[in-house]
Amino acid sequence: MVELSEALPDEELLKQTVLNNDDDDRRMTRLRIERFRTTHTLYILLLFSLAVLQAIAIAFFTRGFLLSRTVLDNVASFDETKDSYGKFDKAVILIVDALRFDFVIPVDTAAEGYNDNYHNNLKVLYEYWDNSVLLKFIADPPTTTLQRLKGLTTGSLPTFIDAGSNFNGDVIVEDNLIKQLYLHNKSIYFVGDDTWDALFHPYLSNMSVPYESLNVWDLDTVDNGVISYFEEHLLDKDPLDREWDVLIGHMLGIDHVGHKYGPNHFTMSEKQQQVDKFIRKVIASIDEDTLLVVMGDHGMDHTGNHGGDSNDELESTLWLHSKRKNAWKLKSPDQYNTSRLGENYRQVNQIDLVPTLSLLLGTPIPFNNLGWPVDEIATSDEEWKIYTRTTLDQLQTYNMTSRAITNPQKNVLLQQLWQNSTISAQYGSEYQAALLDTYKDLWARFDYYSIGTGILLLTLFLGLLVTVTRLISSIVVGQMVSELVPTIVVMALVSNVCFIGIFYVLHQPAFLANWFWCSLLATAVGIIIGFYIPIFDRYNLAWLTFRLVEELSDYWSRIAAMFIAIHALLFISNSFTIWEDKIVSFLLTTLGMLTLYEFVFLPKRQYTAALLNASLGEKEGTVSGATSGQANSDSLPLGRFARMVGGYHSIVLIVCTRLASLITICREEQGIHCTPTFSLRSNYSMPVILGCLFLVFAIPSCIKGYYNVCSSYQAAAPIWIGMLLKSILFVNFIYWGLTAFENMSQGFQINLGIVKLTLSRIIVGVSLIVANIGWMMGPLCIKLNIHNNDTKSHQATILGYTNVYGAQYFLLVTNFLMCIMLFNKPLAQLSLFLMCNQLLSVLEIIDLLKLKENLIGPVAMGLISYNQFFSTGHQATIPSVQWDMGFVLTESITFPFTHLGIIMNTFGPHILCAVSVALLTLWKQPPGVLRANTLLARIVSNCGMLLIYHTVLCLSSFIWVTHFRRHLMVWKIFCPRFIFAALSLIVTQLVVTFITVAFAGGRLIRQINHLFWK
Amino acid sequence: MVVKKRQTVKKKFVSFSDDDVLSRANRSTKSNTHYDSPPVYVRRTPLTIPIHLPVLCYWFAKCSKDYDIVRALWYLAPSQLLYLVLQFNRCTVYGNKIIKTNHSLLLVSAGTTFLLTIPCMLFIILFGAPISELLKKTWLLSLHCCVLAYPAIYSVYNSDFKVGYFKKYFISIAIGCWISCVVIPLDWDRPWQAWPTPIVIGGYIGAFFGYTFGSFL
Repeated sequence: MVELSEALPDEELLKQTVLNNDDDDRRMTRLRIERFRTTHTLYILLLFSLAVLQAIAIAFFTRGFLLSRTVLDNVASFDETKDSYGKFDKAVILIVDALRFDFVIPVDTAAEGYNDNYHNNLKVLYEYWDNSVLLKFIADPPTTTLQRLKGLTTGSLPTFIDAGSNFNGDVIVEDNLIKQLYLHNKSIYFVGDDTWDALFHPYLSNMSVPYESLNVWDLDTVDNGVISYFEEHLLDKDPLDREWDVLIGHMLGIDHVGHKYGPNHFTMSEKQQQVDKFIRKVIASIDEDTLLVVMGDHGMDHTGNHGGDSNDELESTLWLHSKRKNAWKLKSPDQYNTSRLGENYRQVNQIDLVPTLSLLLGTPIPFNNLGWPVDEIATSDEEWKIYTRTTLDQLQTYNMTSRAITNPQKNVLLQQLWQNSTISAQYGSEYQAALLDTYKDLWARFDYYSIGTGILLLTLFLGLLVTVTRLISSIVVGQMVSELVPTIVVMALVSNVCFIGIFYVLHQPAFLANWFWCSLLATAVGIIIGFYIPIFDRYNLAWLTFRLVEELSDYWSRIAAMFIAIHALLFISNSFTIWEDKIVSFLLTTLGMLTLYEFVFLPKRQYTAALLNASLGEKEGTVSGATSGQANSDSLPLGRFARMVGGYHSIVLIVCTRLASLITICREEQGIHCTPTFSLRSNYSMPVILGCLFLVFAIPSCIKGYYNVCSSYQAAAPIWIGMLLKSILFVNFIYWGLTAFENMSQGFQINLGIVKLTLSRIIVGVSLIVANIGWMMGPLCIKLNIHNNDTKSHQATILGYTNVYGAQYFLLVTNFLMCIMLFNKPLAQLSLFLMCNQLLSVLEIIDLLKLKENLIGPVAMGLISYNQFFSTGHQATIPSVQWDMGFVLTESITFPFTHLGIIMNTFGPHILCAVSVALLTLWKQPPGVLRANTLLARIVSNCGMLLIYHTVLCLSSFIWVTHFRRHLMVWKIFCPRFIFAALSLIVTQLVVTFITVAFAGGRLIRQINHLFWK
Repeated sequence: MVVKKRQTVKKKFVSFSDDDVLSRANRSTKSNTHYDSPPVYVRRTPLTIPIHLPVLCYWFAKCSKDYDIVRALWYLAPSQLLYLVLQFNRCTVYGNKIIKTNHSLLLVSAGTTFLLTIPCMLFIILFGAPISELLKKTWLLSLHCCVLAYPAIYSVYNSDFKVGYFKKYFISIAIGCWISCVVIPLDWDRPWQAWPTPIVIGGYIGAFFGYTFGSFL
């Protein structure tokens, strides 16, 4: 609090006295504010160019790593004008997981690479040579069971993101073999790996028995289940009694032995002999109209694992068998050469199974198929002609419908091949091969150049961020921005011209497919060069390195660096990534414990630092009228009371973190070690809804408590927090109360849709638009206290003077809080209440420990945002995205509103933290101590630190997901985590640039300086 | 003991920055002149090495069946008592002399150790241990940690509550436990990953390092 010489009732009058009426002074002030405006604009441009660079880096990496494919929902049907086909009525399909090709062919004991643990144990397939076709079956990477099953049934090349497919369930929507069989009234019995149940649930018969597939230590349950099920429905049943048309079994034993022991283990031979015996029984039991298919979905490498694209992993087995004579027409024997582990054996693609089975069983070929029927199934030329014709028609229809191939050369080539294939059937396979190759390029190959470029650009981005926001002192950056921004723009333009010129004249590298990517790369290079020219003009690398070491030289910075490093290193193992939620809250608790320790014991470093600060401050003096003693009063060593307050806030932080971490939606991989508390039932249960009612009063009074520390709960604050926030929270409670009522009460008929939509739109409109416009008017949280005891002195007290920046800025945070509350489910709202306390406690702690410019502040914010991400019912997996939040504002998918809901829901904590990172500087920052430019520079520096934290995480996830691209769990664990890291970096960057710095920071500093600067 | 005084030479810095580089550069200088009289310290002798801890740790990790922490506790408690009486107390110097073992204090500090398990358990739960289930195991773990800290607790009593000097022993145990959490999330499905085995072992290791090197810090 500061004392003014006269009692002034009005803000305008206050301004007039504070600003001297002197002309010179007024001009100076105007000049200063003018200069601040320019610097502010330049800072925004600086951050924006960093955002562009970062977006380009992420775009390149994503393009290389995440191959996407548009799934068409069309379903193939019979063309009545064409010839009919189909030789078999029934089929038994037995999938032996990880059945590598050399397991089933005879291997000479003297041959190189012979191993009696896994060779010559499964001889049955080769023994029945006369009535069957045995082929090498080449899978497409990634060789994971889920992706392979999709490939085996759709005939297409599944990628990680099948755009257009339904994320909500795992059920395949695109046309597939099983769906076709189902549509043609075949009843499908299934037993084995439960992945099938997840994928094909609607099409399988109710008699199916799926078994859990995750536990790779269990070698026998699934296999024994399959065997007994087959005994029940096939072996012990009379052929006439069999209710099924297609019987599918999926055995996992060999795969699990591989995962557990590797192939070179005696259990492998036992397992193979078991399968061998089982197949013999099956062969004996089928009748003439039944087709028997035995196949593997992928192979295994020498360690027994799979997922990648080495030959051992790709080579699997396909075996077709029938009791009929002359069902197959084999090629010349030299095509089936089993020497050298079958190296030169005839091979077919895995997706070829789809047209083959469709043709044999007489169903239409699935719409998205890219495979080609196996030659051996046609016994005559006429038959083959029908088959090729059908397949070619389907391929052409698909290609014409999808229009995914945009390269004109390829299109011309394909057109030509298509023309040829209409003439002669032998060109048909060429057409198919060319088509498949083109689509493979489009979908199934990692683009290492793009990945490398992405990682490199992101590393450079990180370097730039560190240099600009941390290494170079903020004052110098303030002076340099006027130089940096023009060079960046110019260099970006120049390099665009150069790159495009060079690529136009010379041949461009293949990974820069077109001018768009080329100019993106050019822009990125331009921005990097544009940054480094002015920087290296002044500093050299040695100095920057020295600064980096210096930056990390104090205790708290090292703690912060350690947290970042630990968090980034979580991605080196799937187990750590799975348990990230617990680990993050563990780290946040550790931070709370460390600050608690600091307040309780006050280690020596604190005294020296504080004393030095005090002496420094004395020399600096203050620019405003405040006496130096007052300005520096918070630089003195902590008093007993301050220590108690600090300890209290640390405990609040710890307890809130622990309570929040109780709320969790468990990942599938966490298994029995985690009980989900964030479920539909718990969200809409009575106590939780009552908790939401409790929030209506709890959140405002908590915030009020923190405001009262500096007696800032004045003027605008009671209106904002006491009325606006409270009433919005109440409306929010009604909204969620209604939703809970709808969900939980049975037989409830009245449609509440319109009421709910109205409520939700009111909340969003008020919180995002009205409240923010109101905030732009500059609501001050100060009050002139003229009721002094001492009437003679003509003095007034400004209440809330010390926190004039922070109190006003936090009102903006509450605006976002109101909106994010709406888009979170009741239990998550409770978690967000805890988040408020965490945030404000961290602000108080940071202020008490005088760490406003330390690395630890933004890192604490980042940790809170991750902790809250997990405790608001999210996980870094695609199924845990709460898609239903998209329909809070609208009933159908409408562009900005649906997306707004999902973004606010998923990244709510990140947005809140990115907005409130400026509070690290502004909280309890009295006006008139720091210049406007310094304040802005410090805000940017703290924002930069938060971005550094997210960038390090993103970079680490980039590197590790690339490293683990062949890992079994890449598509389940690492890849979603990388997407999440990239998205949270982008969201944080956007919020920081446009809201924290551009919208809020500049306006606030200008206003306060206008008022209080002498 | 003669307290060494280090002459601190103040360096002059010229700073063009608005941040506190100067203070940061000085933040790391330690001054060792903080002992109040009478001085309390632990002598730097090999006598402070708690040999029984690695032995017990080895027995616990390799020989014991099912990582039986109750039995480990039965072995640990007397050996910690012996270590305190025979080794640690003989190295603790208070007021320029080695004090004799105070038997009533041994009992009092044992009682304190027992009472301290409650706050210790609270801390472990705050760090993320399950709240309701496994509560007994968590308590056993905290009892373990407290017994490991028993010599330090006794010394705190014995030297007029100079917590400041002895806190490093507590901290080293805590750090040992903190680091050992690393192995819990790993999916190796080993029996020793079960709660609270890794933390107990971490506590042993932390305590070993603490008692061995504590006097040098």
